[in-house]
Amino acid sequence: MSELLKFLVRYSSWFLFILYLIAGSVLLFSGNPFQHHVYLTSANELSSGLYRATNSVSSYFFLKEINEDLQRRNSDLELEIYRLNDVIRDYKEQAMADTMTVDSALTRYHFIIAHVINNSINRAHNYITIEKGRLDGVEPEMGVMDQNGIVGIVNVVGDHTARLISVLNPYLRLSCKVKGHDQVGSLVWDGQDPSEAVLEELPKHSEFMPGDTIVTSGYSSVFPEGVPVGTVVSSTRDMEDNFYTLRVKLFTDFSTLSTVRVIRDNMRDELVTVEKELEIKNIN
Amino acid sequence: MSKTTLQFLLLGLILVLAQVIVFNHICLFNVAVPMVFIYLIFRLPITLSLNWTLTVSFFLGLIVDIFSDTYGMNAVACTVVAMLKHPVLRLYVPREEDLTRPEPSMLSLGVAVYMKYLLTMTVIYCTLIFIIEAFTFFNPLQLVLRIVFSTILSMIIMLGIDSLMTSRSEKRL
Repeated sequence: MSELLKFLVRYSSWFLFILYLIAGSVLLFSGNPFQHHVYLTSANELSSGLYRATNSVSSYFFLKEINEDLQRRNSDLELEIYRLNDVIRDYKEQAMADTMTVDSALTRYHFIIAHVINNSINRAHNYITIEKGRLDGVEPEMGVMDQNGIVGIVNVVGDHTARLISVLNPYLRLSCKVKGHDQVGSLVWDGQDPSEAVLEELPKHSEFMPGDTIVTSGYSSVFPEGVPVGTVVSSTRDMEDNFYTLRVKLFTDFSTLSTVRVIRDNMRDELVTVEKELEIKNIN
Repeated sequence: MSKTTLQFLLLGLILVLAQVIVFNHICLFNVAVPMVFIYLIFRLPITLSLNWTLTVSFFLGLIVDIFSDTYGMNAVACTVVAMLKHPVLRLYVPREEDLTRPEPSMLSLGVAVYMKYLLTMTVIYCTLIFIIEAFTFFNPLQLVLRIVFSTILSMIIMLGIDSLMTSRSEKRL
């Protein structure tokens, strides 16, 4: 027994080393970021408090660029409104229907406005911390966009903070399509450039040109259809491969991210229940 | 709590804050990321037992992990670096009795030896971090560039911190 104790004491540093190495590796290889514990991410009280404090200073730095983006987006939307107004007038003239206008409370999606308090773009797996949490209605697997385009998906939620998986993170795969067409591909980041991502598995009969806009497909409750993603830069296709791979220049500038909108889908619960019921039926 | 312990706690706090608030957001030319908080591990006295060095390093790495959402990456790399600290030091200083002070510094090791020690340790750390990252995206050229330039940038900043520390301690003497 005393020999064993002596042995343990003598090699205690090695045991400690291996213990710490295993503890670190368990965290490192735990894989799925949706299973990260809130205390071990930047959404915990201490780190979010620190980032909130530093953000109250640094949020002023990029106001000019953000303002320009907003102006541009605003003018785009105004144009869209004029166009839609024309369309509506046409329809009204055609139908003269006695329809009621839809109240905004009945629309399917709601935005929760949140400030980004921490963000990274230089790692292999990038995450973003925002200062709205469960008490503000944020829940895991909600989509997040900013004034330019998509930003990421919420994955860990604290009471007043939440952490998102950035688009610049290979764990995130988003179903997207070329605007105006229906063929769907999968958008993923390839770790090269924080301003570009790759749209994979686009069927070979798809039509597109460099410069075309890529938007979300709406095939999930995370993002509505048509949220802007980026523009096509170039495309590749292997001879035997049946799919195109497009390089996409992202609209969102992740280095100056400041205010984002969390998208709340009011039909999500309903969708989830329906899908679950289907699953149960299939099992039986 | 002795004065040295307090000094190291303060240094650790400052380094972690500097790392998570400032240096984590720097990425020069999309390759060079400064890793500065590991300076604390390099400066821990060699008289401190290996168990304590490992513990301090692991938790230092874990704290930085929590703040930067890297989930275990820095904790693993810091533990390995802490384990390699004595062997690396023995590489350049054959007899530990030659040291005038217990902490490795420019004064106790001399400029050349200290630089070599700092460089070796930083290279080991950056290599570990970027190889762990390379499990996700393997791009050999980018990997080498990231290791080399991150090491250079980290070295420059750590030598800057070093000059601040030494000038203060000389004044105290």
